[in-house]
Amino acid sequence: MAVQVLLNFTLAFIWMFLNQSWTPVDFVMGYIVGLALIFVLRRFLLTPFYFQKVIAITKLILIFIRELILSSVSVIKLILRPKMDFRPGIFALPTDLKSDWEITLLASLISLTPGTLSLEVSPEGNVLYIHAMDLPDTTEAINQIKDTFEKAIKEVTR
Amino acid sequence: MKTNDVILQTVTRTVSFIILLFSIYLFFAGHHNPGGGFIGGLMTGAALVLLYIAYDIKTMAKVLPIDFKNMTALGLLIGVSTGLGSFLFNVPFLSHSFGYFYLPFLGKTELATAVLFDLGVYLTVVGVTMTIILTIGEDNE
Repeated sequence: MAVQVLLNFTLAFIWMFLNQSWTPVDFVMGYIVGLALIFVLRRFLLTPFYFQKVIAITKLILIFIRELILSSVSVIKLILRPKMDFRPGIFALPTDLKSDWEITLLASLISLTPGTLSLEVSPEGNVLYIHAMDLPDTTEAINQIKDTFEKAIKEVTR
Repeated sequence: MKTNDVILQTVTRTVSFIILLFSIYLFFAGHHNPGGGFIGGLMTGAALVLLYIAYDIKTMAKVLPIDFKNMTALGLLIGVSTGLGSFLFNVPFLSHSFGYFYLPFLGKTELATAVLFDLGVYLTVVGVTMTIILTIGEDNE
């Protein structure tokens, strides 16, 4: 992936040399032309087309923003209730993520979404303990949300 | 005799991108500087031929699943339709015009319809050269 980014930058610079104009606009034009060339010949390089990773990262960010808004709204609904009748709880989330980077990212994303907080990673690194603000009715739903996060992270790292 | 083409293939993997970039530069330079659709198309063809030399036809068919005969037809279609497009403005066949536009990001840009005609030339040249070379190359008899 890094080699392809480097190649793309080199192509952008060669484009600027050819056009003899050193403006950011020409750099971006060269970058786009180089990206198109790498896309056309993507099967010919040894590693997968790197821009798919960029798209996956963008997707992860968008999913995070969506979850942030949705869970903020639900937390606001909880705290504005006249009676504190919701039930907090801790649950374990088994995860398939392997590397330290992936688990850290998942735990951070869970903590950053209001209503849930990651407490601890099990010593084996395959279970995450999560505190939820309102558990009884949302265990399944939260697990589903973690699946969306987990899936998006897998698309980025694998 | 089986030889190891590792040097040729590794060099080709980067050099072909630079040649293709140069061919695209030549294509767009054609209006005010030496260059244009014909030389750009030939340069693209040269880059593709380099790929075909470094790898074999079967690998390249997987890498670039393009029918070059269709590419020729598409190029001719674009060329003819830019000519026919002039009828929409009540001017003779193949009349071309240009203008200055303020595009977002790019700023003041000169856009000419001749570039579309050149695109047709480009595709036709790439298609024809590749068809000729591949037809000769695939002949096993």
